[in-house]
Amino acid sequence: MNIYVYIVRRMLYVIPILLGVCAIIFLLFNVVSPDPTLIMLGKHATVEQMESLRRELGLDRPYFIQYLDIVKSAFTFDFGRSWATKQEINTMIANGAIPSLTLTLPAFVLATLVSISISLLVAFFRGKFIDKFVVFICVAFMSISSLAYIIFGQWFFAYKLGWFEISGYEHGFPYFIPYVILPIIIWMILSVGPDVRFYRTIMLDEIYQDYVRTAKSKGLTEKVILFKHVLKNAMIPIITYVVIQIPFLILGTLLLESFFSIPGLGSMTLNAVNSLDFPVIKAVTVLSAVAYIVFSVITDVLYTLVDPRVRLN
Amino acid sequence: MKILSLVLVSFLILTSCTKNRDLDTKVLNIAVTAEIKGMDPIYADDTYSGGEIARVYEGLFEYHYLKRPYTLIPNLADGMPEVSEDGLTYKIKVKKGVLFHDDAAFPGGKGRELEAKDFVYSIMRLADPKLQGLGWWVISGKLQGLDEWREKYASAESVDYNETIEGLQAIDKYTLQFKLKKPFPQFLYSLAMPFTYVVAKEVVEKYGKEFLNHPVGTGPFILPEFKQSNKIVYTKNPKYREVLYPAEASEEYEKFLVDAGKKLPLVEKIVVNIMKEEQPRWLSFSKGKLDYIGIPKDNFQSAITPNNDLVEDFAKRGVSLVKSTGLDLSYIAFNHDLDLFQNVKLRRAMSLAYNPKESNRLFYNNTSTVAQSIVPPGIAGHIPGLNNPYQGQDLEKAKKMLADAGYPNGQGLPEMTYDCPSNTTSRQMGEFFKNQMALIGIKVKVVTNPWPQLQAKINNRQVMVFGIGWGADYPDAENFLQLLYGPNKSPGANGSGYDNAEFNQLYKSASVMQDSPERTALYEKMNRIAMEQVPLIYGMHRQNFILFNGWVKNYVAADFDWGHSKYLNIDIAEKKELLKKL
Repeated sequence: MNIYVYIVRRMLYVIPILLGVCAIIFLLFNVVSPDPTLIMLGKHATVEQMESLRRELGLDRPYFIQYLDIVKSAFTFDFGRSWATKQEINTMIANGAIPSLTLTLPAFVLATLVSISISLLVAFFRGKFIDKFVVFICVAFMSISSLAYIIFGQWFFAYKLGWFEISGYEHGFPYFIPYVILPIIIWMILSVGPDVRFYRTIMLDEIYQDYVRTAKSKGLTEKVILFKHVLKNAMIPIITYVVIQIPFLILGTLLLESFFSIPGLGSMTLNAVNSLDFPVIKAVTVLSAVAYIVFSVITDVLYTLVDPRVRLN
Repeated sequence: MKILSLVLVSFLILTSCTKNRDLDTKVLNIAVTAEIKGMDPIYADDTYSGGEIARVYEGLFEYHYLKRPYTLIPNLADGMPEVSEDGLTYKIKVKKGVLFHDDAAFPGGKGRELEAKDFVYSIMRLADPKLQGLGWWVISGKLQGLDEWREKYASAESVDYNETIEGLQAIDKYTLQFKLKKPFPQFLYSLAMPFTYVVAKEVVEKYGKEFLNHPVGTGPFILPEFKQSNKIVYTKNPKYREVLYPAEASEEYEKFLVDAGKKLPLVEKIVVNIMKEEQPRWLSFSKGKLDYIGIPKDNFQSAITPNNDLVEDFAKRGVSLVKSTGLDLSYIAFNHDLDLFQNVKLRRAMSLAYNPKESNRLFYNNTSTVAQSIVPPGIAGHIPGLNNPYQGQDLEKAKKMLADAGYPNGQGLPEMTYDCPSNTTSRQMGEFFKNQMALIGIKVKVVTNPWPQLQAKINNRQVMVFGIGWGADYPDAENFLQLLYGPNKSPGANGSGYDNAEFNQLYKSASVMQDSPERTALYEKMNRIAMEQVPLIYGMHRQNFILFNGWVKNYVAADFDWGHSKYLNIDIAEKKELLKKL
């Protein structure tokens, strides 16, 4: 099948998936969640005001019409305005996505490169002291709460040593850089542990394959086998693992953003959940679903590039 | 080696990209702990948004900066109002020559003069059913014709602002007239709240729904455009009218008269940092990057001695401490819709089993004042020296009272649920309450809820006992007593649903009386009923501990601090000197 036809076909799946996502959002909002007008009006709410606000928000309309509204906004990406802040949601997302990405993207790329490099190294020294030591360090890193890294890093490196900014963010290049270095390092420490263990397992799976034994018997060096053959064959699980994480980078990282006062999408989403800001929750959910589908298609396409045996059907 | 050098050089370059700190300009650096929603006064329903709006916009009245008890003084009003004998008509003169900030919405981009009609428009916006202003409660049911106007357009496509409303009129260019439906002595407080701050019609019309990001007021500071971000930077309004630092103060604030008579504002710029977490706020303050800060709970002991004084190390660095009791109340409420809690002896027994002193130690670092009844200190209606016989743990008395209530050792009582918000401290408070009740044999199950869920449960009467708090909207005991006024039941402020005919009658009578000894007597009577009947288990009136750096001048803690940043000053020379010590 032509790759373009495959992509178009897969993208058509977006339609039923989005309809389903809209139905779930609608059900959760109408069945499970409390009355948003009460939250919006706060401690001085009266029955009359709540009714009036329900009317203004269109919550007194038939359920089917309300559902159609959600579907319409999901397909047009016109999410309207936040109920809590009255800000335009697309602007909120655009404003938040860049600070989130300035933190998550470099952190993710660096953590992935470092993890793959370390996993290749430990695969090279498998079973030896260096392998065991790295695994031990990874487990140790994973055992410590992310909050501990943040609190210690902020106190010691930013406050005591003054190497980094304690908190804050400046928009525009290169001003944001000093503010994201420490969070990026913390992200890397948090990610490297589980990532190295995952990639190491993949590498070791490959190392015990027949083709590696064949390569060895042909007299290829360990370095050539690792970098030319093992790494190439390990690319499919690596791509799956890496690409599917990308859409979530845009959504930011709640704890890091919150502690370092980075105005990203993580805190926006949390605020929306806390204030039952349905339009924002809806926008984030729909965009996440779409991004997930798009990146899973990209993953499939990348499979064909790294492994010519893969056919898109 | 080359690679290592390259990494080190890159690291140094990257970390040095920070914008330089300007130490030669008077800049006020402060932190707020929550996101600012926007800059439209009618949506300023949270402390933080209200505070930011009040830097740019202004209202008719404000609270005197250096006088306690809180005293209203004219701001954009030219003097105090002329009130008719029946207390129904208020005539207010608006100051002449006040200019809105320059903005493209005005002809030639120059801000025009403020007129009385701007207030009419601003208050109609608050009532506009299409906008659903969150401060509608402030004027709802109070002005003649306004509720009817709102109702008329509730289902219409658009709203007509040109319609004349009997109770809200500009009778000439500089005179505003309010006509109330019935006397409402707290009305003037409404005109000091950010909800009623004045906006210009042209600006609202030019920016439409984006108006909330284009604040154009008459205030001391300018914010050309608001963006929801981690920082808001205001600059001094060069055309601000002549407003002078006060020349008189209450005795305890006389030391703040150094800048008396100086033209306001005193700083050139304000940088507001949105910092939600306590640690970065604390560390930034300790580094001198913030000028003042409320002490975070976890850092309390490192800054404050057991006697509630500042530790020496901070004092040496020029840091000062200011303490102020807040006009607020934390409490545990019963759901009075349940027959169980109609039994006053049961309520008293539970109150006697609860140990507020221990709660103060555990959750407030022993800084709060244990409440004796519903009205906090600092306002008329509070009774100094009042000693609630059912407040303070007395287990013997509690057990006896419980037996008298018909439940010896808790026998016959169902397991009670205690609902609270889901944050850690609230949950811990719930566990504490559970343990206290267990001491007299009452079983309690703690149920944590996300805040919206808790509000909904209270509203739908799906709670038994719940922990909550109330902060004053204005300095009048009525604002606290309404929590027990029967007709004010949920979704009104009376979440417990307490309904006592005698109390209701007293409240109704007091609610139309002007401030007077007679009204204070009624307030005190209600306060005593609230003590005797134990409709709530009273908790604390919280005390705020605020630290400020030595270069900050004129810092005064206040419950209603809207617009107060114009009074703050920065001593640049002292700042440079003190920063060396940090």
